[in-house]
Amino acid sequence: MTFSTHNDPDRSAGLTDAEKTLRVIATLPAPEGIEERVKSGLHAAPRQGSVISWPPMAANGARWTQLAALRAAAAAAIVLVVAGGAWEVYAHIRVAPEPSAVATPQHLGGSGGLSTAGAVRKPQTLEGPVVAVPANVKPRSDEGNGAVLPKAHVARPAAEKNKTSPPNQR
Amino acid sequence: MEIVESTVHDEARQRAQEEALEALVDQYATTLYRVAFSVLRNQSDAEDAVQEAFLRVLRHRETLGEIRDHRVWLIRIVWNIVLDRKRRAKTRPETDDVAELARVLPASGLSAEQRAAAAQHHAHVMACVEKLPAREREVMMLSAFEELSSVEIAAVLDVTESSVRSRLFRARNLMAELLDHPRSVR
Repeated sequence: MTFSTHNDPDRSAGLTDAEKTLRVIATLPAPEGIEERVKSGLHAAPRQGSVISWPPMAANGARWTQLAALRAAAAAAIVLVVAGGAWEVYAHIRVAPEPSAVATPQHLGGSGGLSTAGAVRKPQTLEGPVVAVPANVKPRSDEGNGAVLPKAHVARPAAEKNKTSPPNQR
Repeated sequence: MEIVESTVHDEARQRAQEEALEALVDQYATTLYRVAFSVLRNQSDAEDAVQEAFLRVLRHRETLGEIRDHRVWLIRIVWNIVLDRKRRAKTRPETDDVAELARVLPASGLSAEQRAAAAQHHAHVMACVEKLPAREREVMMLSAFEELSSVEIAAVLDVTESSVRSRLFRARNLMAELLDHPRSVR
């Protein structure tokens, strides 16, 4: 696969100054023993990824049981710490008592309580003069004769008059 | 019994992969170093990049059998590593290049003064190369490696061969302008 310059006329003909420099740099010898250093680096590299390396197992059984006991103690300690923490959190949480009455917030208008919502507009109408009936006037005994007692005349608005008394009843 | 057999099989396979990887190191470590040095222009950085490239290969050693051209594949890996490192690193001052080149340039028949002058010239040219647009610069740098054909450069950069040729043409023109009028580009 080695490619020589005479196979590619584009690259051998008309080398520029920059290409000559690049070629000088590209042909610089590699430092001595680079292969051995790379190989030793590869041998030192971990073969498989490991999260935490556990202490190596000893050959004799006594040491192994000691390690197993240590492992169990460590696991128990972790469980205790987690459980203790959870209990601590649970003990500090207090549920609020249920309220006997629900307080509803007072509704305020969007403009700081100066809303006109709910207001009823009353048209300004002219009140007619009120003629007070004299207190000492008593009804006559000849009421059955068709005489009509004078009543306090209250002027009503024209609209009300029209509504209450149709014209054909007049 | 089956477990024992599969374990033996796994160990044999792993040993074969390690041997294949070591063969790759023997064969291509020098080439990868030169590619890395051409970009980083620092011996220890280039060696680190080669180491990182082979560590990546180690992590994906199961796929080694599927690779058609190991050389181009490895150059592509180290090329990506050095570009990434260069992007993160600060711009190298030209004086650093002069010092490094003066140290690594071969001293065949040159006096100390001539070597210093050559280093200075090369460092100046490299500073101009750095001013090229990235795509043209990359093609120009890879084309300096005689063992890489246009097709292989295209494979490393993941572009077409015609694109490599056109970029190289533009790079040459831009370099000529830069060396004549150093402030004409950018």
